[in-house]
Amino acid sequence: MPGVKAYTLREKSKADLEAQLVELKQELASLRAQKARGASATNLVRMHNVRKSIARVLTVINHQQRAQLRLFYKGKKYIPLDLRVKKTRAQRRQLTKHQKSLKTEKEKKKLTAFPQRKYALKA
Amino acid sequence: MAPKSKTTEKAVAAKKAVVKGIHGKKVTKIRTSTTFHRPKTLRLPRSPKYQRKSIPHAPRLDQYKVIIGPHSNESTMKKLEESNTIVFTVDIKANKRHIKDAFKSLYNVDVAKVTTLITPTGSKKAYIRLTSENDVLDVANRVGFI
Repeated sequence: MPGVKAYTLREKSKADLEAQLVELKQELASLRAQKARGASATNLVRMHNVRKSIARVLTVINHQQRAQLRLFYKGKKYIPLDLRVKKTRAQRRQLTKHQKSLKTEKEKKKLTAFPQRKYALKA
Repeated sequence: MAPKSKTTEKAVAAKKAVVKGIHGKKVTKIRTSTTFHRPKTLRLPRSPKYQRKSIPHAPRLDQYKVIIGPHSNESTMKKLEESNTIVFTVDIKANKRHIKDAFKSLYNVDVAKVTTLITPTGSKKAYIRLTSENDVLDVANRVGFI
């Protein structure tokens, strides 16, 4: 018994997923009780599969929730910290690309007045 | 009195300024006690502009996590028959209230009391005594105990 597949879970609604989660947890509890009595090899394999299935369901639930939240916060100024770009701490504190490209008026005038010239030698 | 002209008003104000000075009078509070107590200022409740965590975590110690499984040996079987008690291995972080609620919700039985101990191996054992109207053997069958 291989356990649930993630692609089948992704189509389900949140309520379905939570119901499935409860089912799986109950199955795990009953398997544990059987283990206390004396486990067969198939039981142990099933336990492993059920635990991983529970993890899969929780992962899918989490994915769905976060995807919805990202939509909700799209375009807003203040976003929860775990939805923000992670990169590294130093990179987050660097100047943005736009900020780096800014030039002073003086510099702009210089660039227009004295651009980089290109010369060619006549062969 | 003759209506004051502007010039006389100005003259009077100037005289006053010279005599009394231009700074306002300082008003000092009357202190009736020698001790100074920190004045109570306005304390606003938090109104965050955004949640720090996007999704609050599901309860970490839910009923399925609290109760791990039945614990079974000769002494527990004896307890089962004699004192209407069932013995369970339970999560260490669970307290008696957690265990009672979890057991009630999982198996739909009334719990009289719970006693717990932490085994030398580091796991928690719970002696769950059911109320006299409930049949422990019935519950034990449902659990998968026997």
